[in-house]
Formats: sequence, structure tokens, C-alpha cells
Amino acid sequence: MRNGKNTLFAFAAFAAVIATAQPVAAATIEMDVNGLVCAFCAQGIEKKLRAFPATTDVVVSLEKKLVALSTKDGTDIADDELKKALTDAGYTVKAVRRESESLDEVRRRVEAKP
Amino acid sequence: MLKFLAGTGAGILLALAQSAQAKPIAFADGTTVMAEYGAGTMREVQAFYAPYYWLSLGAAVQRTDSDIDGGRRDIGTLRANYLLKRWNLDDAQANVFVWGGLGSATGNRFRGSVLDRNAGFQADYETRKVYFSLMSDLHESERYSQRIDTLQLGFAPYEHDYKDLATWFVVQARDYTGGLRRGVEWAALVRLFKGGAWVEAGLTAEGKPQLMAMFNF
Repeated sequence: MRNGKNTLFAFAAFAAVIATAQPVAAATIEMDVNGLVCAFCAQGIEKKLRAFPATTDVVVSLEKKLVALSTKDGTDIADDELKKALTDAGYTVKAVRRESESLDEVRRRVEAKP
Repeated sequence: MLKFLAGTGAGILLALAQSAQAKPIAFADGTTVMAEYGAGTMREVQAFYAPYYWLSLGAAVQRTDSDIDGGRRDIGTLRANYLLKRWNLDDAQANVFVWGGLGSATGNRFRGSVLDRNAGFQADYETRKVYFSLMSDLHESERYSQRIDTLQLGFAPYEHDYKDLATWFVVQARDYTGGLRRGVEWAALVRLFKGGAWVEAGLTAEGKPQLMAMFNF
């Protein structure tokens, strides 16, 4: 019985190690941004975010005051780097969060008319 | 009044294809090229590169033709634009820009070329529905001193989003000093922009065309 418990524990520990060793999945990151009122603002922000090698696509919504991006499989961009990029573009980041939705789903959500 | 209304209507019809307002710095690592035809009194071409969102460097060429005595000045300047202060609000943005430059000027009321000193500022406030801007641009030399003050008030008939065509209706009041024009020049303009391109067209109260195109990339 004890051997069985040890085996179970060892298996669980191995599974945990394997799980953490998996490559990081592609990330969808959303940011609430202040000062987003014009297309030129969006253009500058998009240009900054696309400069990250990990970025695959960017969505900007003036209406939702939101900037979202997706990253390549196995990559991510640290919150501090994202905040710096938007601050360097001249805007104020209120919040950064990771989403389980794909970027296409985010795009559909922000483009949906009320 | 009728002329002004006709000007407004014609301006709307003339509109072809902008952020609600032209800014001397569009965005970091961005280039801005702008050309304006100001009702025959002022013509200007500017090109700036912004290494940062708060600084752009470039050149401007301006021609002014006096409505009073036919005096013409051609001024070329190297100019730096600086974002003095920006407020990023929930649903709005406000900015104060200042600039300064040095260049050379020629004219048909003086011989040779003279050193031109340029200074100016722009204060603006913009939401997705309304915008306001006040700009003052001063050129001085040993032979002249001229300033162009421009006040604009714009409203959007609908709230555009990124990638949409944005439309703005703009009322402009412009005052010229330095013997360029007597009295305030009123104009009604329609401004359209999409992506990095902006085109603006309209008429002054006297029926003279005012045109502007700007590209950011």
C-alpha cells in the first residue's frame, strides 16, 4: 500500500515536471490604455508592438480603449516591456491582463456592435 | 453669411479623403509629410521625423502672399518640435507642443536673403467626438515679423474606430499679422482620414479654397 502511494506520488511529481517543461503556449494579452482617441495614436502603438519579435498580430480598439496582441507559440512578452513600449509611444497603460481567448475572438468581441 | 454657408456646403462636397487634428509629432519612429494650401495667402510643406513621441525634427518651406500689398515671402526653416505636456485621459487626449527653428527667407520687398527665426506653439484637446486646437506660428527677421494664429473647432458626425474612415467637420478662424491680411479669415472644412492618410478641403468665407494633405508612416 505504501509502495503504491509512493508510486502515485512519483508519477504525479513526474507529470508535474513534464507539464512545466512544455513550451509556453501562444499568449493573448490585453491592455487598457488611456489617451486612445485617434487613428494616428493607434498607428503608433501598433508599430511599437509589432516591433517585438514575439508579436504575431495586434488589435487596437479606440471605442474600448483597448490594445491586444498575440504572440508566437512558445513566446511571451513581459508586462514591464509592454508597458514601456506603450509609454514610449506616448500613452498611459492602466492594466495588462492575459486572456484565454484567441486574438481573433478578442477582435470579434471589440468589433461587435452593442 | 450666405457666402459662408455656401462655403461650408462646398467644403463638404469638396471633401475627398485624418487624427482629428494635425500634430507636429504623430508618433515615435514616425515620419510626417504635410502640405497645405491656405486660401492663397499661405502655402506650406513640412516633413518631420520623430525619434521619440515627444520630439520631431525636420524642415518646413512656407510661402506667404500678402492680400494687402502683394508682398511675397519665401521662408525655409530647419525646425524642432517638442511635446511640452500630454494628458492621457479616459476618453480624451490633450497636448501642448512648442517648436523653434532657423532658416533663410527671400521676398519681393527686400533684397537678398535674410536669417529667419521661427517659434510657435499648439495646444489641443481631442475626444472621438470633438476637438479644439489653437496654434500660433511666428516668423521673424530683420525685414519682417509675421505670425499666423489658427483656431480650429471640429466635431465628428460619428465615432470612428481604428481602420475606419474618420470624418470631421471643422470651423477655422485664422488671423495673419505682419501685413499679410486684414481681419480674421473664417473657413469651413471637411477632414477625412484613414490609416496614415488625411485629406482636408474647404472654403473660406470669401470662397477661397483651403486644402491640406498629410501622411504619417
